[in-house]
Amino acid sequence: MDNQNSISPAEARTLLDTADRLSRRAHESARWPYVTFILALGTVTSFGTLGMGLTTGSAFGLTYVGTLAAFFALIVFFAVSIRGRAAFARSRRWTTYIASWFVTYGAAIAVVAWAHGSVLWSGITSGAILAVTMACASYEARR
Amino acid sequence: MTTTNQAPVHPRHRLDGHLLNPVRFSIMAALDRATTLGFREVRDAVEVTDSALSKQVALLETAGYVAVGKAFTGKTPRTSLTVTREGRTAWRAHLAALQEIADPS
Repeated sequence: MDNQNSISPAEARTLLDTADRLSRRAHESARWPYVTFILALGTVTSFGTLGMGLTTGSAFGLTYVGTLAAFFALIVFFAVSIRGRAAFARSRRWTTYIASWFVTYGAAIAVVAWAHGSVLWSGITSGAILAVTMACASYEARR
Repeated sequence: MTTTNQAPVHPRHRLDGHLLNPVRFSIMAALDRATTLGFREVRDAVEVTDSALSKQVALLETAGYVAVGKAFTGKTPRTSLTVTREGRTAWRAHLAALQEIADPS
């Protein structure tokens, strides 16, 4: 490859504009199902675990079933919306987002199981799910 | 005491040879923000044929700028392209050289 090619300042500006436009377009067309998914995942599991942590009896059952139904609906939405596309499928960034959600979700489920009825711990862990997923979605949306 | 008088090097000498090709330049641009994209997404962004994209991706892979991942969804093969750390460094340096050419002051 010839590095001696002279590129004029105008050509260089055009190349920089092209690179920026292409980068934004490729990212925007691919990221929206992922950003929507992580936002909805955080909201559903945060309020679901909060409800499960603070209710008993049939209210608990309804919250449990409702959270599961919303979760599976979300999985179906995601599978349909990314069908045929592999964006981020193996990216380290998305693995980190999902791992972060999983850790906070695990903590919230632990509270449901072992500290049921604790407003403080339910609030902290469910709030953590919401905070982490919102932070991940915001980071991705601003890239 | 010795002094060395080195002539300033024009930023064009810092342009990356692999990225002077317009298709390879566009592939790296498409992967810049997303980091990982599917083959079809890159093809649609760059607007080239599958074969032209494959050829240029192979060259970028050989240069160590892009990692190609293969997976199957059912029986359908899915190819993903990920910009490597080396590729990102080269891309940033290339853009910096272009920026210097565009705005020499």
